[in-house]
Amino acid sequence: MVTFIFLATVMIIGAIGVVTLRQPVHAALSLVGTIIILAVIYVTLQAHFLAAAQVIVYAGAIMVLFLFVIMLLNVEGEGQADKFRWLRPAVYVTAAVAAAALVVTAFMNPRPLPAAEVVDAALSGGGAAQIGEVLFERFVLAFQLVAVLLLTSIVGVVSLVQRKVERADIAASHSKETGRE
Amino acid sequence: MVATEYFIALSAIIFMIGAVGVLTRRSAIMIFLSVELMLNAANLALVAFALQWAEAGMITALSGQTAVLIIMAIAAAEVAIGLAILVAIFRYRHSSEVDNLSEVRL
Repeated sequence: MVTFIFLATVMIIGAIGVVTLRQPVHAALSLVGTIIILAVIYVTLQAHFLAAAQVIVYAGAIMVLFLFVIMLLNVEGEGQADKFRWLRPAVYVTAAVAAAALVVTAFMNPRPLPAAEVVDAALSGGGAAQIGEVLFERFVLAFQLVAVLLLTSIVGVVSLVQRKVERADIAASHSKETGRE
Repeated sequence: MVATEYFIALSAIIFMIGAVGVLTRRSAIMIFLSVELMLNAANLALVAFALQWAEAGMITALSGQTAVLIIMAIAAAEVAIGLAILVAIFRYRHSSEVDNLSEVRL
């Protein structure tokens, strides 16, 4: 329980840092810290493969991509005031009320956790072999679709950032044809 | 082991902090960061429930963790495309403020 309270506190501080810090690099690094703390929480939840995947995929690939783009575009920090003055207080109040409602609802019907042996028998620490078994037994279609989705995103990214480059021979033959007409 | 309600409460708090970030930030990249925070909060809730459902057998219990794996892959694809769109927008506008982005023609 002490571990959980410590991890939860650090994670909330990191999340507030993501939302509050002005410089984009600081906010991205705060999110990296939050993701790593979340990986530690996954370890306490008997999800060891997911913890490794979280560090490798989220912190190691997604956040690196974020930092690349932030530094490439040289994104500036925010400084201006909002257009509507009532926006920020309204957002804070709404978020606080919604979070309080969710927390109260979560604590309304507490269920006892299963015994440690039952958890170990079912999850086996969330190892790669067990997740692979579930993935290829129940989630095969989702697996194939995610593969197609990743391919689509790669094609989309390449087509979005590609500039039109005229090849010299195509341009020359094109101009020859239009000159002949 | 810690009861599931605490993890759900933490997930709700992180999700709402991410929502505040989405609504309050002006730069598109900061909004992306807040969306990633919300996705992580949802993943935490799923993993917590996967532990709770251990009585129902291995496949049902680990379905939560497998869903989180798939969500991570989807988040990676979404971040790639979102940042590519941002780069494409930034090429023409030289700023990433979303307040003026209503007439984007790429």
